[in-house]
Amino acid sequence: MAVSRLSYLSIRALDLAASEKHYTEVIGLRVTGRSPGQVYLQAHEAQDHHCIILNASDRAGLDHVGFKVNDPNDLNEAEAGAKAWGLKTHRVAAGNIMGQGEGLGIELPSGHTFNLFYHSEKVGYSYGMKDPDIILENLNGVWPVTHLDHTLLAGNDCDKTAKFLQEVLDFSLTECIHGPDGNPFAFFLTVSNTIHNVAFAPGPPNSLHHIAFYVSDRADVIRRVDMLKHRKVATFDYGISRHGVAGVTTVYFHDPSGNRNEFQCGVYEGSVVRNKIPPIVWAGENIPRGVFYYESAVLANFFEVVT
Amino acid sequence: MALIRRGIHRLGYARIAVKDSRLLKTREFYTREMGLLETGVEPNRVMFRCWHEPYKFSFVVDQSDKPGLVEIGLHVRDDIDLENFHRKLAAAGVAVDAAEADTELKGLGKSIAFDVPAGPRIRLFADIQQLGYVSGFEGPDWVAPKAIRGTAAPLNINHVAITSPDPERCSAFLADMLGFLTSEKIVDEKGKTISALLFRMAKNVGGQEIAIYPGTEVKLHHIAFTKEDSSDILSDGYFLRSDGVELDLLGPLRQPYGNTFSVHFFDYCGVRLELCAVGRMTEVHPEIQPVVWSTSNLREALSYYDEALVPEEFFMPCL
Repeated sequence: MAVSRLSYLSIRALDLAASEKHYTEVIGLRVTGRSPGQVYLQAHEAQDHHCIILNASDRAGLDHVGFKVNDPNDLNEAEAGAKAWGLKTHRVAAGNIMGQGEGLGIELPSGHTFNLFYHSEKVGYSYGMKDPDIILENLNGVWPVTHLDHTLLAGNDCDKTAKFLQEVLDFSLTECIHGPDGNPFAFFLTVSNTIHNVAFAPGPPNSLHHIAFYVSDRADVIRRVDMLKHRKVATFDYGISRHGVAGVTTVYFHDPSGNRNEFQCGVYEGSVVRNKIPPIVWAGENIPRGVFYYESAVLANFFEVVT
Repeated sequence: MALIRRGIHRLGYARIAVKDSRLLKTREFYTREMGLLETGVEPNRVMFRCWHEPYKFSFVVDQSDKPGLVEIGLHVRDDIDLENFHRKLAAAGVAVDAAEADTELKGLGKSIAFDVPAGPRIRLFADIQQLGYVSGFEGPDWVAPKAIRGTAAPLNINHVAITSPDPERCSAFLADMLGFLTSEKIVDEKGKTISALLFRMAKNVGGQEIAIYPGTEVKLHHIAFTKEDSSDILSDGYFLRSDGVELDLLGPLRQPYGNTFSVHFFDYCGVRLELCAVGRMTEVHPEIQPVVWSTSNLREALSYYDEALVPEEFFMPCL
């Protein structure tokens, strides 16, 4: 059948304890598993085992990205498709990643590895799956993010990567940014009805630009920017902003290892039916407005700093 | 070898019928209060879309002496899906009506329609005329057009709620025949489903395209449209009240069942509408688990704030 969801990001942490504190207290995730050198975390309103894996490391950045498929046979299909494209693949044994069934790792032209898998252990919503009182307590001062929303990855051969994802894994291209030569250089893709689940922009191979978490309303984005400032977590220069791309309200900041995080809110349904709606194009003078709508400007460090 | 997402991709439209001579009250309400965009006017029909939607319509109102829900339109990927569904439904003994493009509704591609047992009439289609985004495909602003600011101006159609004399049978058919999944349900003491929220769309905030409530017959309960977030619901409530539109229930509602924040009200012909924000993350995956509510907690499930809410009144259909 098909890829069903962006499931998790496995990332590197210079100081595991400091990162755990950040992802639980600043982001508002819960710890769902531990193994030597690893912490597994999930948002309170997501039911799978994890959306972030922290790996103790001597550098920041990304280990790999997990996507779920909705049929166990999809792993074989995807493996054959990747091989036909000359991409390296490997199998990940069930249980190798905590709470997760067998996976298929695909090494993309961009340098990133996508791990496709079918089964995740269910941890359920934090308040339970039966007659839940939907309000959570003891939240360390922040209302928790509801789920992992999307990621922007930086790498080489973004066009080839986007093409592979569309042709073999059935992603849809919803928006793209064009360079002065008229060719697209950044690609926003979805496997769902949300306008993007993953995006690619040029950069060093296998780099991470940001990880975005969804919060329930714009008022909550405001309170979160206040709280980031209060806690001396450095935010991006503009503080709160809005992206022209997808039209979402946003704030960027960094985890203790330097990996960029985003809180964002906005209904950005893509009306996605494969091959029906042409992609939205951001080009020339529209680009600054597409990146930061209020400011209509792009600071160089926004694209240049990746981990 | 390639993966492919098949089946129903999105809720296409809700189509209802009202008694409204020349549809004048309908046109006034949906353009001036709801802030929908009128995209087609015929002597006995008017079509609307939300400003964020690229397709010709997501809401169709027919003038008729028999008011009610006419059908729910669901968008599939392509003709292969249409043929697959046609075959599967026919094999199960379901009467299927096929229609050529532009015959049933102007702008709609070829389609198949059928009645869900104890449920609504459904029409599946793969093609619908595209008008494009209001703000275009080149650097769109994603801001509601000036002419409809100060109205509800929802972004998308969100879900259609119906009453059913047999919610369990209706939801089982939608699951088995059309691949719908359940994000939440209410079960009685015997474990029988009395209500379910069903989805096919993979949304980060959503949770339902078809909601089924208990009732004596199949009727429209409400049609819901999407707002950006909860604060919008409050301002929509006062926009509507300032024009004299009465709000249903007890005003803005935090609804644990579905995890939404919403406000319900009626149009000039008695059609119940909802503006809603938030809702469950959904994944089209066989292992997804629903939230399950007991009938003993029905009031708490339907409203987090309003202890005076009476579930039986809440479930009353409209039209």
